[in-house]
Formats: sequence, C-alpha cells, structure tokens
Amino acid sequence: MKHFTLPVSPKTVHWGYFSKKVPPALTLRSGDRATIETLTHHANDDYERMIQGDPGAESVFHWTREHKAVARRGSGPTEGPFIRGAGEGIGVHLLTGPVAIEGAEPGDVLEVRILDVRPRPSCSACHAGRCFGSNVSANWGFHYHDLIEEPKPREVVTIFELDTSGEPYAKAVYNYVWTPQTDPDGIVHSTIDYPGVRVDHATIRKRENILSSVKVPARLHFGTMGLAPSEADFVSSIPPSYTGGNIDDWRIGKGARMFYPVAVSGAYFSVGDPHAAQGDSELGGTAIETSLTGDFEFILHKKADLAGTQLEGLDHPMLETDHTWSFYGFTYPNYLAALGADAQTEIANHSSLDRAMRDAFRKLRRFLMIVHGLSEDEAISLMSVGADFGVTQVVDANWGVHGTIRKNIFRCD
Amino acid sequence: MRSVAATDDRVRLAQRLLRSTVIWVDPMSFRPFTSESYAQDDRPEAWRDVLAAVGLQPAGSHSFYDGHATASHRHADGIALTRMAAGAQSVAPLTPSNEDLPIALMPVEDGMVLKSGASHRIVPVGHLVLLPRNGDWSIVFQRDMRAIVLSVTSEALHGRRSGKPRLGEPRVVPPGGFADVFARMLDATARTLDTLSDGEWKTLAQSLVDLLLTLAHQVAASTSDAGSSATQAALLHRICQTIERRLDDPDLVPARVAQAEGISERYLQKLFETVGDNFTHYVRERRLQRAWADLSNPTESHRSISEIAYAYGFGDSAHFSRAFRHRFGLPPREFRQQEAERATTQHGVAGQRGWPQEALARAHQNSAEARSDVARISGEETRSAERRHHHLPVEASRVHWGYFSRSLPPQIEIASGDTITIETLTQHASDDPDLMIAGDAGAESVFGWTADKKNVDRRGAGPMDASVFGRGAGEGFGVHICTGPVAVKDAQPGDVLEVRILDIVPRVSRNPKYAGRVFGSSVAAWWGYHYNEFLGGPKPREIVTIYEIFDDPEEPHARALYSYRWEPQTDPFGVVHTTYDYPGVPVVSATIKRRHAVLDGISIPLRPHFGVIAVAPREVDFVDSVPPSYFGGNLDNWRLGKGATVYLPVSVPGALLSVGDSHATQGDGELSGTAIECSMTGTFEVILHKKADLAGRPFADLSYPLIETETDWVLTGFSHPNYLAEFGAQGQSEVYAKSSLDLAMKDAFRKMRRFLMNTKGLSEDEAIALMSAAVDFGVTQVVDGNWGVHAILSKRLFRDAT
Repeated sequence: MKHFTLPVSPKTVHWGYFSKKVPPALTLRSGDRATIETLTHHANDDYERMIQGDPGAESVFHWTREHKAVARRGSGPTEGPFIRGAGEGIGVHLLTGPVAIEGAEPGDVLEVRILDVRPRPSCSACHAGRCFGSNVSANWGFHYHDLIEEPKPREVVTIFELDTSGEPYAKAVYNYVWTPQTDPDGIVHSTIDYPGVRVDHATIRKRENILSSVKVPARLHFGTMGLAPSEADFVSSIPPSYTGGNIDDWRIGKGARMFYPVAVSGAYFSVGDPHAAQGDSELGGTAIETSLTGDFEFILHKKADLAGTQLEGLDHPMLETDHTWSFYGFTYPNYLAALGADAQTEIANHSSLDRAMRDAFRKLRRFLMIVHGLSEDEAISLMSVGADFGVTQVVDANWGVHGTIRKNIFRCD
Repeated sequence: MRSVAATDDRVRLAQRLLRSTVIWVDPMSFRPFTSESYAQDDRPEAWRDVLAAVGLQPAGSHSFYDGHATASHRHADGIALTRMAAGAQSVAPLTPSNEDLPIALMPVEDGMVLKSGASHRIVPVGHLVLLPRNGDWSIVFQRDMRAIVLSVTSEALHGRRSGKPRLGEPRVVPPGGFADVFARMLDATARTLDTLSDGEWKTLAQSLVDLLLTLAHQVAASTSDAGSSATQAALLHRICQTIERRLDDPDLVPARVAQAEGISERYLQKLFETVGDNFTHYVRERRLQRAWADLSNPTESHRSISEIAYAYGFGDSAHFSRAFRHRFGLPPREFRQQEAERATTQHGVAGQRGWPQEALARAHQNSAEARSDVARISGEETRSAERRHHHLPVEASRVHWGYFSRSLPPQIEIASGDTITIETLTQHASDDPDLMIAGDAGAESVFGWTADKKNVDRRGAGPMDASVFGRGAGEGFGVHICTGPVAVKDAQPGDVLEVRILDIVPRVSRNPKYAGRVFGSSVAAWWGYHYNEFLGGPKPREIVTIYEIFDDPEEPHARALYSYRWEPQTDPFGVVHTTYDYPGVPVVSATIKRRHAVLDGISIPLRPHFGVIAVAPREVDFVDSVPPSYFGGNLDNWRLGKGATVYLPVSVPGALLSVGDSHATQGDGELSGTAIECSMTGTFEVILHKKADLAGRPFADLSYPLIETETDWVLTGFSHPNYLAEFGAQGQSEVYAKSSLDLAMKDAFRKMRRFLMNTKGLSEDEAIALMSAAVDFGVTQVVDGNWGVHAILSKRLFRDAT
C-alpha cells in the first residue's frame, strides 16, 4: 500500500467536466491511498478570504487579460468567440484528478473510501487559519422563479465561516446581491453564468448581521465525486449520472464508501465541489461551498469477482456507511445514453423528482432482490415499511431522490 | 464573410445555451401563485398584484380577499393570461387605464353576477364577458371565484392599428360560433400554461390577441345603438386582417385591398385617416413588426434573415436591412444576435412536468343523505384537579370509516388541556380476522358484517347506494377507520389545535390462541407506487404480508409471519372484490394460499405512529380520508409518534378531532401503499390556542399541519396544499389525477420559507440560504393521491430556540 499526495495546481485540476481524455494527474493501484486537495469553484466570491495568499488556489484561479491559468471551464466550445468564456460554463466544478487506477476496466467497480475530510484554512493575512465558504442562491436554484421579495429575480451570495473548535458548525458572515461582474477578458457576467469570475467587492453592498442566531451544523462532504463516462469526451460536471459525479449528497463524507461502475480503462476518478454543509435538496442551488482536503483509499473490484457480493449487477453509484446503504435515483439514470447528442443541454428540460423517485425505487428493488435474495413481493413490502426516500437535490438538472435502507434490518439470524 | 459566419455560430451557440444546463428551470414568463407563500397579513397585497396583472382590482367594501387562493399566470409582450381559483369576492377594473381593448373574462365551474350601473346580470359558466377598461362595473363571485382572464394591451399589437372597438359597457357574449372557439381556446391554453414552451406560448398568445380583437369588433358592431363609427372600426379591423394575411405579397397595394372589400380606394384611405395613419405606412410598419417578432423568436432561428424578409414582402434584403435599421435603430443581424444573447441571460426555457390525464370517476355525493344516528357517549372520565382525562374506546358507534365530516356529532367533548386515550383499529385487521379481530369486542363490533347486518355501513365518502362502482356503501372512497370525532370546547375556525402524542401502545390480540401477541398487516396494493411495473408475473397482483410486532423495550421490531396474494373475496353482501377496493372485507383463509418464510432473517425497527390525525375540513360535508391536506388527515409521516406534536388549523366549531390509521412502522415514501398497519391506542394531550393568542407563536399563521418533535420542526408539503379549495367540486377526484412530487416539493419549499421568515424572523435571502445549507427535504408518501414532501428544520440550528 502506498500513500500519495495530490495537491491542487493548474496541472492537477480540470474545471467543469469529466473526461476520459484528460491525462491522469496520478496513477495508483488498488489498495493505495491518496491525500487529495480540492478547491471550491466559489472561492472567488470572496477572493480575500478564500484565495489570497494560498499558492494552490492562487495558481488555479489566476486569470488576467494576458493569462488564464485554467482556460477551459465546462464542456462547451473552446474556440471563440465566447458568450461566457472557454468551455462556456457548461459544467462548473473544479475537480482534482483524474486519478487512474491500474488495471481498471469497464465492467469493474471502483470502491472509494473517504478516510478523512479537513477544511482548507485561509492563508490571507487578515484571516489566516480560519475557514470560509460561500453559499449562492443562484439562478439555477429551485426558488429562483418563485421569489416573493423584490428585486426579482436576484442572486444572493452568503459567506460563511466554519468553526471547527468544537462540534463543527458554520456561521454566516455577510451576504450580498450579485451585481454584473466583468471578467479579465471583458465579458460581463450579469448573472452567475461562468465559474471563477472574481467578484469585485467595490461593486457589491455587503449586508452584515445576517442569520445571526443560526449555527449550521457542519456536514463536510464532497458534492462531486465520480469516474469518467464513456459516452462523450467532455461531459458537463453538473448533471450526476451512472458514474457518479455531482450527486450532492451530504452523506458522502468521512466514513463513506462509494462504489462506482468503471466505464473507461483506468477508471479516471476525479473529486471536487467540496461542501461544509448542505440540506437534502440543496434548494438554493449550492451548499456552503468550502475548499476541503480528503484522504481516500481506492479498491478495485474486478468484474469477475462481483457475483455473490453486494456489488453484483451494480451499474450505478452506491453509498455504504456503517449503518446504511443508499441508492441514487435520477430523472434519467444515464442521461447521456438516454437523450442522445444534445444530452448535456437537453437534460435541463426534463428535471423531475417524479422520475427520480421512480428510478430510486427500481434501483433499491434490484439491490434487495439480487444482493439480499428477496422475492419481488418481499422487496416491495420491505421498501414500504423499512426504506426511506429523500430528496437529494433539485438543482443539478438531473434531479435526485435517494433511497436508503438500514443495515440493522438484516442483522438478525 | 468570415465574421458573419462567426456571428451565425454565436447565434446558434446562444440558441443552444438557451436550452442548456442547470440554469433553466421554468419558462420565464410563467408565474404560479399560491397564497401559501404569504403570511396571512400579506395575502391581500399579494392577491391585489395577481388581479392587477390582468387589469382588475378588488371591489367593494370588503375589498381584500385573504383566504386560500391559487393562480397560474403567464405573460408575453402586452398579453397576460391568468387562471384563478379563490374564495368569494368582487372585482372591478383597475382604473384609470389608457388601454382600449376590453378584458375578456370567463367563469369556470361557478357562475357570477355582473353589476353594471344599476343592472345585475347572472353570467353562467362558460360565457365570455368583455369588460371595458374604464367603467362603472364590478363582478361578484358569490361562491368561489374560478375564472380565466385575458388582458391585452396596445403593446401586444406592435403598432398594428385595428380600429378601436368601443364598448360602452360590459358585454356578455352569447355562446356559439366564433365565441365558442375563443372560449375553448382560452380554456385549453389556461390549463396548459405551465407546460407550454416559450415558443408555443408566444404563438398561442398572438392567436388569442387576434381572436379577442375580432370578437371585440363583432360585439361592438352588433350593439344596437352603435353608430357608423363602430361599423367603420369593424370594417377597418377586417381590412387590417386581410393585410395581415397578405404581408408576403410584394404587390399589396390599396387598389387590390379595396377591391377585395368592395369599397373604393379613396374610402380605404379615409378609413386609415380616421385612425391617423395611411395605408402604405401601415403595411410597412406591420411587415417590419412581424419581421422583428420572428427575428427575436428563438424557434425561428433556423430561418435566415433574407427568408424572413421575403416572407414579409421584402424582395430585396439590402432594402429590408435599411428599413429595419431606420425603424428599430439596429440592423437585423445585430438585432437578432442581441436578442439571442438577451434570451440566454434571461434563462428562459421550457420546463418539464406533465400531469396524469385521467381523473378517477367522480364520486357523486348525496349530501342530503341522512346522517348516521350515532349515540352520543361521554366516555370514561376521571377528574384530576382541573384537567380531566377521558377515554374513548373503539366500537361501531364511535368510529367513522373512510371519511371526515364537519357534520358528524361528536363522541365526546373535552376542554383544552385535557388528556384523552383513544383506541384505534387498523382497517387491515380483516386481512387476518383470526389474528386481529377474533375475541376483541371492539374490533368485532366495528368489523361486524353478516348477510343481514353491517355494523358500520358507510366506508368512504362515496354514495351510500354504491352507484359508482358498486363496491359498497361509501364506495371505499376513503378507507381509514377513524375514532371520533372529539369536540374541543370553545374551538372556533381560526384557532389552532395542538395535539400532543403522549403515548402509543399496540393493541394485543384478544384471541385466546394468540393471547398477548401483536399483529399487523401490510398490503402491496393497487394504489401502490410499484403497481404498474412489476418485474415478474403474474402482473399485476396485490400481496398481503402479515407481520408480528415485538414491542420489547430493548429493540422493538416487526417480523413477517406469512404473506398471500389477494384473491377475489366475496363480502357478506355478495359483492365480489377482485382487488383490494373496499376496506374491511373479511379475508376467508380457505380462499388464499399462505407463503411462509417470507422476509426471512429480517427484522424491521418499529416507528409506532398514527397515519391519520385530522380536524374536520370546512369545504364539503363528506371528505375522502385518503388525501391529506391542510386539515391534517392521512399524513402518513412516521415522525408523528410518541413525544411528537401536531398543530392543526381549526376549520369548524369544535374542531372535531379524529384519529386512526395506526402504523407499527413505515418508511419515508410508503411505497407499496401501506405501512405495517396495526391497531393501537394513543394517549393525547389536546390544547386549544385561540386565534387572538397566536401572535408570536411558532404556529401563528398556520394553514397546514405542522409537526414538532423534540429535535425538529417538520413542515408538510403536498402536491395540492388545499385540494378541496383549489379544485372545487372536482377536488376529490382531481387530486388523484394530479399527484406530483415536483409540486409537493414546491409547496414544502414555500411553507418552509414562510416559516423561517415569519416565525424565525429571517429575510427571504437568509431563509433561502439556510434552506440550501441545512433544511432536509424528504419524501413523505407517494400513495395517498395528494403526494407529500416534508421539510425538516433542526431546532439545533437556532441557538436561542426554545
């Protein structure tokens, strides 16, 4: 077993997409471990608190008229002229990786264990050692067309500080309404439509003393974790799908074991979109987006060894914790295959919890029947009385409902 | 030419982005409204905005409406269409107005009274009314307000002159012919507002404008006292329509148009002069306006600029380009690009969603039916200081089966602060009568049913003569055995009833063979979520699983005993039930085949709770017990267990509390259609909060069932928060046809926002940030017609919280 370290830098991140074409940032073997740094793509909402003085973050976010360290952001076009910028922001998450796993082939399952998760402290002089995050009530949020106060519509950024001195919690510092921001290439972003645009704090009005009586319990986790899909070379990081990705389940934190079906040789694992806390549904469009570092262990389960294990027949992500198994239903379980050439844009027109619930039901039924040997009638009765369905997210185009079943149901003789 | 090609690429990319990714949720122009979003005090103002969007305002002295209201609204340039459902009220025109075109209003489901000057006129359902923008009129909706309103302003005409239809006073358009076509199109469009793509909506909106114009002219011209000006206006309108159809004809000259209308060219010009225009200018203006509309329409992006120019009679694209720039200040190519970008940043895109179309057959209710003559009993009462404890045992005369009703005589009256022990029975006890009914006097009384006598005849809110499906009295439109109702002294509409669950104890079998043991039943039924997609045969099928409940304090759990497939059961009256379509039909063990060793090795932790806790709804007399709503009812949330409290808004005097549908355990979703249904006895503390004392309490401004546990606030969202008010007479069938988690999620979001803003004093921005970071939304149930999503707010978030 080896332990690797993968820091963030323009060479070790890819921004806004999963891809089987990006050269691996790290290659390791089944059983190896790695410490992987991740950055939140919302760090520029408060440059001073979340980027300044941090060599890794500064290198990745570097963007001047002359030089943009990570030019492509999203799976969109890389040849101009651009509406929003290279990649067109079709996909927004800063992902570290890919990590290639030696010997991984389509049909295998990759298990990723999260051994530990730590926040990334600020390096700026004024805030050194403290940890910050940003929450955005954005145009893709569930609430956006249903606001009651003026001005309508509006996007609001709330900066949180994460306190880890005791039981970790997050506390709001201030918020502001998004104003049009001009990026170094001269494109004006009147809404939040492209990641990593530095917010000029001279253009915004900070409101202090917000959420003053509220402490949000921390749920450190990675919103986006998954493998490269086989269907396309560059796949938007926004809609989650059969190889994982932007699942946005806060249960994917320390102690979690995620299982993903391998779609391309080498598996190509990437991780990012770190969150300090999120509620089931991620209603406003984002969590408390906070740069984190994780310790991971990778175990490759070869196709031939899956029969008779809990991974038999697994063709979608699964979460195992000490107490539960969770299955992720999506509006489209594999939207890339289901929606054809325009899938990455078309998926946003189909968002539906009703379809996601249907998918979660089917995946859990399959698990109970294949892995636990139940008949269909037993599985359905058990799901009604012993499984809990919840709303994972309603903001990632391919909406999610998770079905969770407790392990202690199966414990007795 | 390179730059042009790049520009075209840009346009195409913009078009594609327009349809792309995360950013787009609903069609930009669609606005759902529900009063649930607003605190009680803010509702009149919010409702005023809804009316104002279509040129109306509240009328009369009781001008503000503050009850439950919903509306779907969609707008395009100068066009606004709204379908509203709200309570009784009056509306009048929003004056002063500079607009000329009348408002079109059509009542649906209920008639209305049109007051104009001194005259009163009753307008029946489906009749169109054209209402002048200024004038002394009002409309009174005496029962519910259910109407479709179309407002078109001059902005929608894009400079199109059509003569001004002058309506002196409101006009009711008799149905038939053209008016029918208009009415049907209005209705169909209003029903699909939320699912139309932007392109579809724009097209329909333009058609509605044309239809309204034509109708308004017809009506104005037909007025008996209309002078020649009305005739002229109608003629001019017809000519304008002719021109509109022939814009593609480069040889559209006055002589040909005049000839087609059978008038002189001079008269034609004179007609245009009456509205301050001339023919040539008008035609050019219309051509440019139509081209403008097409260039800004994303669905027309496949057509080249010269194609569009040609379609509107411009043979020479350079000439078109000059004329366009002269008129709009921008050459057509740049204009199109700018519009595409604007659309991109506005994120307008068609949403998804589609409701199941088929409504269940409507229950024909016989409200004149004689009420069951329930003996009033007062229960056992034990006095301790001022607070009293009551006991309500279960027997045939003390339950109502499958419905809630405001007119049931109370079983008992208690005072605020009293405690009461209520016995409940599961309606699934008849799945194995030997285990769950035999020897139990209370259960035998309730389930008692022989060829001659059925102790509880009505089961469901359907007709007593079973004239819909012939299943039995009440038709099984509602299935739960509810014990009660319990009247609460001094309770009045507007008050809040707090129901604390102090204890829940399973009801043990009274059959000597199984003495002391507890049993339950779970049915994977035809109303289950899985029913239409079985993997294996036979398809479909209903499966009953009988469980034994082990209520040991260490690790309370349930284990399956056996299961069987439902076989047609003949009830004691001789009706055959091929599916589980009527509650309490005793299953004859000889007719079924038991499968043992099911769910072997599996033990399910208990979550004892009551599926149904309700106060009586106000809207109608007999209400199906299945769909939950604002009054509580079949909430099916397992968090309603021991130690939990539910706050219910009182709707009728005495509140009329009923309890039933007890569950040993259930998962979030209740997927198969039922929980482990198990008879239980609950002890409750009931506290009445008078309306005047609600201010500042967490349950002030309550219009839905609010659950409080030791650690959390749980808010209940439904597909249709008050389906009885929203759908009116059709409510009890419509609600089943319009189940949707997407809608329930929206409702849960709105309720949580309101709770955080009003109870916790947060701004809207704070509330949304907090919901995203810390509120958990979960699926309550997908089997009760009115599907549920709950929102859980941990009390831990608030340091100062009590």
